[in-house]
Amino acid sequence: MPSLRDLERDVARALLGEADGAVLASILGDGLSPAARLGVYRNHVFSTLTDALEATYPVVCRLVDPRFFAYAVDRYIRACPPAGPCLFEYGESLPEFLAAFPPCRHLQYLPDVARLEWAINRALHAEDAEPLDPTRLRGLSPDGAARLALRLHPSASFLESRWPVDRVWRANQPGADPDGIVDLDAGGVRLEVRRLGDDVVFRSLAAATYAFRSALAAGGDLERAVEAAQAAGPEFDLTQTLRELLDDGLVVGSSAPRSSMGA
Amino acid sequence: MTEAEGRVRTSAGIGLRSPHVAEVMATRPAVAFLEVHAENYMGGGPALAALDRLRHDYPLSLHGVGLSLGGADALDARHLARFKRLVDRVEPELVSEHLAWSVAEGAYFNHLLPLPYDEASLDVVCGRVARVQEALGRAILLENPSRYLRFAHSPIPEPEFLAELAHRTGCGLLLDVNNVYVTCRNFDEDPEAYLDALEVAGIGEIHLAGHAENEADGRRILIDDHGSAVADPVWRLYTRALERFGPVPTLVEWDTRLPALAVLLDEAAKARRLLEAAGRRERDAVAA
Repeated sequence: MPSLRDLERDVARALLGEADGAVLASILGDGLSPAARLGVYRNHVFSTLTDALEATYPVVCRLVDPRFFAYAVDRYIRACPPAGPCLFEYGESLPEFLAAFPPCRHLQYLPDVARLEWAINRALHAEDAEPLDPTRLRGLSPDGAARLALRLHPSASFLESRWPVDRVWRANQPGADPDGIVDLDAGGVRLEVRRLGDDVVFRSLAAATYAFRSALAAGGDLERAVEAAQAAGPEFDLTQTLRELLDDGLVVGSSAPRSSMGA
Repeated sequence: MTEAEGRVRTSAGIGLRSPHVAEVMATRPAVAFLEVHAENYMGGGPALAALDRLRHDYPLSLHGVGLSLGGADALDARHLARFKRLVDRVEPELVSEHLAWSVAEGAYFNHLLPLPYDEASLDVVCGRVARVQEALGRAILLENPSRYLRFAHSPIPEPEFLAELAHRTGCGLLLDVNNVYVTCRNFDEDPEAYLDALEVAGIGEIHLAGHAENEADGRRILIDDHGSAVADPVWRLYTRALERFGPVPTLVEWDTRLPALAVLLDEAAKARRLLEAAGRRERDAVAA
């Protein structure tokens, strides 16, 4: 008789794998095969996780056809089952999985469309946070300002693609023109995705602004963000860029040596 | 007893699912309480904001689906902390979880998986329930699962397992009448005998939902899919449960093929009428 831990491990492996193995000996048939009884549980696991991924990735599902989507995510669920119990957090690695999945490798824009859908999902469910009062940044010394790390709103993320994934996304929304055509060679985008009120919004940013904000989002201090912005666009204006960032309500916290902070 | 607790105690509520939230916010239907799945409210944004507003107008029941109280692996401390944070924030009248497990080797299955019922399992579940109750600072209700398989070694009948669990930990029971029906029918057992085997004290909530009937290898199997109206035999079993346990706050759940809100409210109204009849019987018995 296996221990509870071993039994649960064997059931778990049987649910995710093809072979039911040793666990079948622990299950009564009760008029069916033990494998068929395990199959009832497996069906539920896969159908609910497939539904959850379809809810998070509706455009990807539409682009590849729901039947192919179900086939692809069946493989994905086996390879990357949820790591936590909140379904809105499941599926972050699907874009990378699709990029490496041979049957859709020819759809080169697909992983970036998936990244945009993940950013939208993340923005919708991110923790709430109040914008920082800009007056708290007054009176910083130049040295203190350089080492200032600004914490951006948890819903914000930044996505760069060589494909016009924003247009692909819009063309695949309910109510979009069914005859609309997206020119995949129209050029890439640099997108900022965030929650605004109860809605998720995204927009494309100029190169320097994108470099500045995404460097801050990655945890860089102000000096590093300025360097990234100057490398991306020579006419970068720090005062203006910083004011826009604060006006957008995207800064929710700052960390700097306490002595260099204004009151 | 607060007014909110009183309302939960004697009447019927609905499981609130995201497609119905806007309509419930706009129309504020007359239901006794709302129950939500805790795991859907562990982020921020509009979902949590809506719950913050609704809890001022309705008593809330917080129903966890991911604590894996029957799991032999270590309890997910981060998840328990998030659970506690949500309980502290929305101050629900009822908090419940399941007699089931859902995680092994770090993989979450989004399903309520079955346990063998023996002393070893009892120790595991008791230890976890005690830890959760200690973290939350309150007793929780444990729900009987619907089951599609039995383990060869499972010597303790489920009602006895639940009674012992309640006795050892002080937790209450969430009696899912549909789950009793589904499980018993799947193993040719008598659902009324299951109710008779449960202790009368400690039933803090009842769940009702629809089930589906599938066929596997020529054998009928009932699936607890929450995808239809409550079946007639389940209403009859519910009436029987109210005769045995008295009026208990009752929730109607509907998850797949979600109908119009009005349909769900009609189901709750049906439960409320049966609850009121049970309350009258109880008062008459006291008066006699």
